[in-house]
Amino acid sequence: MIGFLRVAFFALIGLSVLYWLLSLYSRSTERERLEKKWDAAPPEDAPDREAYIEAGMAKYEKSLRHKLIWLVYIVPMAVVAVIIYIVNAQ
Amino acid sequence: MWRYVKWGFRLSVVLTLFLFLHYTLPQHDIVRITETYNRITTVGANALFYASPDAGTAEGTNTRDIRFIATARPNDKVIVYRNEDTGLIWPPYFKYDSSNLQAEASNLRSDKINPQWVSVTHYGWRIPFFSIYPNAVAVKAVAGPDVRIIPWVNIVVLTVLLLVALMLRRMWLQFRERMLDPVAQDVAEAWDGVEDRGEAAAKKARGIWGRFVDWLGTFRGRPRR
Repeated sequence: MIGFLRVAFFALIGLSVLYWLLSLYSRSTERERLEKKWDAAPPEDAPDREAYIEAGMAKYEKSLRHKLIWLVYIVPMAVVAVIIYIVNAQ
Repeated sequence: MWRYVKWGFRLSVVLTLFLFLHYTLPQHDIVRITETYNRITTVGANALFYASPDAGTAEGTNTRDIRFIATARPNDKVIVYRNEDTGLIWPPYFKYDSSNLQAEASNLRSDKINPQWVSVTHYGWRIPFFSIYPNAVAVKAVAGPDVRIIPWVNIVVLTVLLLVALMLRRMWLQFRERMLDPVAQDVAEAWDGVEDRGEAAAKKARGIWGRFVDWLGTFRGRPRR
């Protein structure tokens, strides 16, 4: 039991690092996309580049794509559960 | 010289990765189970290739009772598997049913006259010199010795590993493009500034003599600095 808790603890740390890296990456690509979009053709209603990007990022923080990064925690746990079932079921 | 060192290093990394995957990923053997037994076994320097001491079938000592499955291949060569729980972390098979597996294997025993062919899923290597055995994970009765088995698990695992590697590469490239390159550019610009100022100072310090030398230089077609 102690062993299981220890493994769960370290897995949680590892997955959190992965979550952090992925959210940085995703945020970075989103900011790049917004910058390029504004540079290509600045929209009429957003003459200020900074404000346009900040508004876009605020929208991203609430988007589904941002929330999907939580799958980093869910998928490995589900995979482990499925493996345990398949390997040990007769 | 450095080229050989570099290629040697790369080769050893690739080889290590290959051996690691070859040991860890599941493989299938079509065999006939001849015997299942337990044997008190002392695990010493080869402990890396046995269950970790806190796994269910090991229980904390170097000398333990290990289950074995003795089998014969279609070509009559033999192979012996151990049958141990895998514990919690590595390799991630999460196998806790060694007793059941031993019972299933015993149930599928057969002799040479009436062979019952069995597909044994296992990982690991059999190296007699080090007394290490592959660990059986599952047994399944099959129709004959020529059954073809598609390694779905390996296909999926290797594909996922490849995708993860590509993703890490993309993440690193993004990080470099957005975080490292701008900093490097700033440094380069700052350095240019230092050089410009240095040149201006040098010009000032050159004085009359320097300008005279410069003027002499123009005779030889050298532009004034």
